[in-house]
Order: sequence, then C-alpha cells, then structure tokens
Amino acid sequence: MTTEENYQAVKSGRSALTHYEGKWGLSEPFCASLFTDAQNEAMRKNGYTRFESVILHSINDALSGTSIDITSNRVVLIVSTTKGNIEILDNPECDEEREYPASAAQKIADAIGVTTMPIVVCNACISGAAAQVLALRLLDADLYDYAIVTGADCQSPFVVSGFQSFKAVSDEPCRPFDIERLGLNLGEAAATIIFGKEDKPNVSCTSHEDWALYRGCVRNDAFHISSPSPKGDGAYATLNTILADVAKQELAMVSVHGTATMYNDQMESKAIQRAELSDVPVSALKGYFGHTMGAAGLLETIISMRSIDDGFIPANRGFEELGVSGNMDITSESRTTNKNAFVKMISGFGGCNASLLLGKSLELPTTDSRSDIKHQYTIVRISPEKVEIDGKVFHTECKGKAMLTEIYKSQVGDYPKFYKMDSLARLAFVASELLIKAVKDIDAEHTSVVLFNRTSSIVSDRQHHSEMMNLPSPSVFVYTLPNIMTGEIAIRNGLKGETSLYIIDKKEWSLMDSIAVTCFCEPDIHHIIYGWVDYKDDMNFEAEIKYI
Amino acid sequence: MEELILTLKKQIIEVLNLEEMTPEEIETDAPLFGTGLGLDSIDALELIVLLEKEYGIRLANPAEGKDIFKSVATIAEYVHKNRTK
Repeated sequence: MTTEENYQAVKSGRSALTHYEGKWGLSEPFCASLFTDAQNEAMRKNGYTRFESVILHSINDALSGTSIDITSNRVVLIVSTTKGNIEILDNPECDEEREYPASAAQKIADAIGVTTMPIVVCNACISGAAAQVLALRLLDADLYDYAIVTGADCQSPFVVSGFQSFKAVSDEPCRPFDIERLGLNLGEAAATIIFGKEDKPNVSCTSHEDWALYRGCVRNDAFHISSPSPKGDGAYATLNTILADVAKQELAMVSVHGTATMYNDQMESKAIQRAELSDVPVSALKGYFGHTMGAAGLLETIISMRSIDDGFIPANRGFEELGVSGNMDITSESRTTNKNAFVKMISGFGGCNASLLLGKSLELPTTDSRSDIKHQYTIVRISPEKVEIDGKVFHTECKGKAMLTEIYKSQVGDYPKFYKMDSLARLAFVASELLIKAVKDIDAEHTSVVLFNRTSSIVSDRQHHSEMMNLPSPSVFVYTLPNIMTGEIAIRNGLKGETSLYIIDKKEWSLMDSIAVTCFCEPDIHHIIYGWVDYKDDMNFEAEIKYI
Repeated sequence: MEELILTLKKQIIEVLNLEEMTPEEIETDAPLFGTGLGLDSIDALELIVLLEKEYGIRLANPAEGKDIFKSVATIAEYVHKNRTK
C-alpha cells in the first residue's frame, strides 16, 4: 500500500488489526496487523526473503519519480530493523549469512544499486527514529548528499512468542493511553523516507516535498533494560533537547509511541507533561497499524507528515478514557490543524528513547558544529585469546568465554546482574568495565555509548528460536535485541547520553569513527564509548572499544 | 513441604542465573523482590514461566504474581495448593 492508501485508511478509521488463534502453532491468541497473503505475494521478489522483498517494494516506491544518482558515493542506505531476516534462522535451505542483518542490507543495496556500505540501525523499537537521527547527522557532517532511510520487520513466532513471554501482547485491538489498555499488538510494515541535504546546516529535507527534519535526539534512561524510567527521564531529555527555542504553539501534534502497554504510555504522559507539551494534541497510531517495530519510527513519521499536509490530526483509535497520570491532550475523535510542525516520540527496550522535530517552515537558530573533538583515546581489545588495554596485555588464566567471567570476578565482582546477561552483553560489559577503569574518571551525565557489530545477537537468537514454541524465557528474549548491551553499560554507569547499536558488514574504523564523532554535534555530549562488540560463538568473539 | 522449598530454591537459582548463590543462602521467608535478592520485573516473568513449566500452573494475569512471589515460602504454599504436575 502507498502512503496515500495508508493515510486514507487512517483518516476513515480503518485498522488492519486482526485477532489470530493458533497462528503459527502458538498456543496463546494474539491480535496483530500482518501483511495479507495477497500483499505478500504482490511484494515477493524472486531470490529475496520476505523481509528483503517488502523493503525493496517500499524503497522502489519512494525512489520512483526522483532523479537521485543512486550509484554515487554520496548516497547511503540506512536500514532500520530489529530482527531483519529472523524468519530464515536455522532454515537449512537458506544461506546462513543472510541471518545477519548487514548481509540482508547489502543484498538490498545491490538490488537498488547503492555502492556505499549500508548501515543497519538496530536500536530496538526506536530504530526507525534513530535511523532518521543518523541520516540527519551524516548529511549535516557532509559525509553524504542523500540518505535512503528504510525500515521493516516481518512478524513470526519468534517475536510474537517473545512479547507474549513479557505478558505485553493483547489479544484485542490495542487501546493506547486508555484506562483499560491491555498491552500491545505487533504489526508488519515497510516504510522509506529519502533525506537530502538542505543548503542550511542542521536541516535535512525529506522526500515528502517541503518537509524537513530539523532536530533529532536519542537518550538513555539508565534505569532498566526492559522497563522505562517511571518519570520518563530519557524521553523527557530528548524532548528537552529538540524543543530548545521552539514555540510550543507552532506544533500541530505530538506523534507518540503509545504502545498501549501499562508502563510505556504512563511514562510518555509524564515526559510530555515535563516537557510542557500538555496542550499539544497527541496522536497515537498503534490502533491502526500495531507496533511495526523497525518500521514504526518511519511509518508514523510519514503518516504524521501526510496528516498535517491535509490539516488533519488522526483519531486515537482504541482510546476512550484517560488511563495515565501525566497531563496530555488526547481524544478519541480526529481534529483539524493549520500548523506545520510536529514531534515524533519513541522508546524501546534497552532504555533508549528518541524524539524528532519535523516541520515545513520552522525558523530555528542553527548551532555551530563543534570543533573541540578530542583525538586522544583509551582503547580496550578483547579476543578469545587475548586482552589488551592501550596496547598492554592484560593477563588472564582462562581463554574463550570463561575468560569473561574471570575478568568479571577479578575486576568487578559486585554486580551479579553480570550472570543474567547473554554472552554478547557480558563481552560488552567486561570491555566497558576495563575501559572505564583505565579512564578513571568518566563524565556519566554527558557520555554516549555507540556500538557496532556484524552478527547482531545471534547466540541469543538461536537460543530463543530453539525454545520459542514451548514457554520461552523472557530473559533470553530480551537479549535478542543486541542494543541491550548498550543499555547495560548505561545502567551500570548511569550514563545519560545516547545509546546506539549499528550493524555493518565489517569492522571498518573509518566508518565507525565518522559515525561516532557525529554524536558531538550535540553540545550536551562530551564523551563517547564506542567501537566494535561482536559475539558469533564462544570461540569467535571480539571487542575493540574506545573512550574519547 | 521442606523438599518442595529446597527444590524451588534450586530452580530459582537456575532460572534466574543467581550464579554465586546456594539454596542455603536464600532465606525461606525473606522478600525476593525489592531488598532481599533484589529481583526485578524480568525475574518475575521468569518465575511465571517456571510455575507453568515445572508445576503446570498458568497465571493469566501477571499482577497475581505480586502476592505469590513474596518469598520462597509463599511460592511453595501456592505451588502446593495449585500444582497440576
């Protein structure tokens, strides 16, 4: 379906949410918005998986009518997804490489002709907004002229069973912010926005004619890996950053995450009140599309732009009576507007939150790029055979996986949460502990964590996949989001900056350096912990992280 | 009952990855959440899975867990009354 078809469905109050019983052999019923067989068939491309096909369908739609030279080295493809090709995990008929999101992204890049290395944003539910933040920064840093930002997730028993183990899934259509909300509905979508450079700094125009992304911000709660901060600390911090010098009366609406889980909606209402947005109409779209994960931040941004173009604020489908304690302007009816800007909010597991400010004609003071970027750094390297801190060997008795526990015992010892982490998070945790010890004094309030890898969360993916049909473990499922490791580091150290996880095909420091350094475009960010943390199996893992 | 309590303690240590703890270190009547073992919301969900997997008890509403998971003693009592396997 095109943007227009989706928008018209929202405008007329139609939802794709459907009740399923016994779907995929799952014992519990659920409600979700899934692509129909006919839609899947129409989008299917030979030689490509369902995930790749739906993304290609969306990108080709977005590119049609544009005149971008896609093969130029000034064009980057950014793919937002939480689980990519998870449908083919352990399917012997499929190429194992394609289980890794960077391989799927490369396949998509090759299909459309992009020649630069694609970047996968895998930041749990905020991926679709975080991908737009990345695009804004990369264009602003003049690394590229165009960013094709696309996002999708295909639903399967993998994700549905995991959210069911969290008791977060409703088998009825979801009811965002309502007093009787019972949880979220998952959804399938693919959505694409093409960003191009504006002649003004700090602004990127989008493929939606005269729309521009002015600001975007990502912040961690440093609270818990699966529960948001009750006062919405991280979400509030993102709003506070993007709304500096913005007159609230210029905003047509706040497009919220509004998953209809007890904790998300309550937290968002608090953040909205704290950011003095209580008088701005709220739009929650999950009642139409469900939670489309990697697509959500993009899809909801696109529908919001299209709605405002039409002077329309969609009805909050599923909402009847306010069930949150923060003050907010939410109604069950649609409204009209003559304003031309909005805020997109989104939050996710790992404690991450993002907000975007989009508009058509906002006049904002531009901030100068920072020039005080530090070139001195501390670096920690861990491989199954060896640990090095700033080039000096750190002696360990054990090798392989056991080495991580040995380092935890000798260097930390008093953080039993270590034992609850999966191997990937343990590796990131131990590397960050050694790094922070070597640095001695860190500036927690102003430090971000930006990690990269190749094999995503493959160890936990395999474990959850093996038990998903028979009472899967929620604590295994949560680690199938690789960005949880960035959240663990933020929680341990109280880091209040951003946390981001990118997946790329190989450890290329020039790309990692240039992405990480763009974090300094925000005056609040003084330091970054960043680098490579990859855990393929117990004898194939590698961490190489820096503090600058 | 004593046997059930010991079994539960071993199972809790295993499913919650309380690596450095022994059953003797978990006091039967001590609170599991908040202070006590300092368990969190994911641990509570993991205990719901444990009840269903090992004892055939299905909690429809996770909020019920609040009273059941106060201590090992309260879990043992609930399991004793409601187990189907």
